[in-house]
Amino acid sequence: MSTSDKKIPQLVIRDEFIADEIKDAHTGDVAVELSTLEKIWNINGVRKASILLGLVVIWQAYTVGFDVEPLMFPTFSFSLEKLIADLLSGNLPPKIWFSIKVLIIGYSAGMVIAAVLVLWATASRLGSDFIATATAMFNPLPAIAMLPLAMLWFGLGTASLVFVLVHSVLWAVALNTHTGFRNVSQTLRMIGQNYALTGVPFVVKILVPAALPSILAGMKVGWAFAWRTLIGAELVFGASSGSGGLGWYIFESSQNIETEGVFAGLFMVILIGIVVENVVFRNIELKTVNRWGMQR
Amino acid sequence: MTPLVPQIVIRPEIETAVGEADHGEVARQLTLWEKLVDMDPVRKFSILILLMVVWEAYTQLSGVSELILPKFSSTAAALWAAITGEQLMIMVWNSMKILITGYVIGLVIATVLSTAAIMTRFGSDVLSTLTAMLNPLPAIALLPLALLWFGLGSDSIVFTLLHSVIWPVALNAHTGFMGVSETQRMVGRNYGLRGLTYVVKVLIPAAFPQILMGLKIGWAYAWRTLIAAELVFGGAIADTEGTASGGLGWFVFSNQMDMQIPHVFAGLFMVILVGVIVENVIFTNIEIKTIRKWGMQAQ
Repeated sequence: MSTSDKKIPQLVIRDEFIADEIKDAHTGDVAVELSTLEKIWNINGVRKASILLGLVVIWQAYTVGFDVEPLMFPTFSFSLEKLIADLLSGNLPPKIWFSIKVLIIGYSAGMVIAAVLVLWATASRLGSDFIATATAMFNPLPAIAMLPLAMLWFGLGTASLVFVLVHSVLWAVALNTHTGFRNVSQTLRMIGQNYALTGVPFVVKILVPAALPSILAGMKVGWAFAWRTLIGAELVFGASSGSGGLGWYIFESSQNIETEGVFAGLFMVILIGIVVENVVFRNIELKTVNRWGMQR
Repeated sequence: MTPLVPQIVIRPEIETAVGEADHGEVARQLTLWEKLVDMDPVRKFSILILLMVVWEAYTQLSGVSELILPKFSSTAAALWAAITGEQLMIMVWNSMKILITGYVIGLVIATVLSTAAIMTRFGSDVLSTLTAMLNPLPAIALLPLALLWFGLGSDSIVFTLLHSVIWPVALNAHTGFMGVSETQRMVGRNYGLRGLTYVVKVLIPAAFPQILMGLKIGWAYAWRTLIAAELVFGGAIADTEGTASGGLGWFVFSNQMDMQIPHVFAGLFMVILVGVIVENVIFTNIEIKTIRKWGMQAQ
């Protein structure tokens, strides 16, 4: 290669100069006492509560100020009154209990089946292949799409709802648990073998604790799918199962054009969702994976 | 008290005769059968074929009613007939059109929300309050309200889809942005990046695994919501906009109402097929082209 066309960097020589004077060094405030307002504003809970309050105020002001038709968009206070009235009059609590009961039955049945499948998958390659094929096929299938079939097979009633819920929980949990088990490090497995653990004790004492973050993630996804599926199923066919649940309450209110009832039902759905996610699952996480130092 | 004195145990001496060392087969050619069984796709396909055979054999032999569980062969025939003669593909396209509209608008809103959240503390507070409240709310529960506000039509479904996409995407993007390491942030600042360019060039690539996870969850929720919404109100929409304008969910529901059970199964097959294509072709390809290529995800 010729060197003639190679660019040679130019040397730049800057003029020398002397700065006239060095100013006094000045350190601003090193520590300032925050004012009470700033201290209050720095509390997370206060900021979030005030945002919530702000939203409620905007809602109330908009509906009252613009005189919006309550059939289209009721005021916040009206919706809250309806919720409290229905809770106290004993109209809502049995419906909530119905939904939660169906959810618990479906969820636990789904978990048991998932556990059996995953046990089979850890024991044999055939089981592992079966789980991989079945989850690839059924995980993308929305559980609610099975509802027409479920009604055909199990009739109108709780059994159909439970079948659909099992379907929504099973694949998400099985997929996550199976992936979690496969990613358990060889070291941990060898420790188990060292203690001569085989079969079910090996799974329970080594694989489950080691893969718990992944299993919990699966359980959370399963819960989210199940909750969505249940509300969807009740919205559609809840009426036929006699008493009906929370989804049915929402649908009934919307059919009767009692929009404040729809909002009351939505409040309840949000409340249950928040309780399950932030109280139940959060506590399980705190007691297990957080305490074991597997998750910050 | 007498101190315990350990007893000395003298074991009898033994001699073991060391046998001939034998290390069996070190390497052996696998038989053709073993090689075949070792291939993943072969095993999985045979499981699928086995399931179909069991299904077909059960329905043929037990004489179960076609109305309860149709034969696999009649389901396949129904699927073929629906694709060729009954505009099933148009219905799939109707569903996908609504889904894509809702998904894209949802992504835009989620992007705006999460960008606002990383710029200011107020935005971050608003986002976390809203997601904590609205993420546990199933989108389908908003459908009655949407029908009231937007009337029967695809607008209502798009509204519920928006709701099902925005919160998981915004939540995951925000968590991802918060977890970007200080080093990468400082690299960005070193290049003088600020505002939108900073977000696009530093934060988004660094948080991409989280963002992609949010996109996948958003897709899963949206797909479930869409099918549910169409199962319920697809008929009303099909009525107002002419035949063959309902979606895939409506195909399943209307055939169930007509007791065309093979067609119900055909519809379910189509739902599975669309889901598998989106998850295993589209999202896996995005993963391979981005986070796997960048070495952010194990093989």
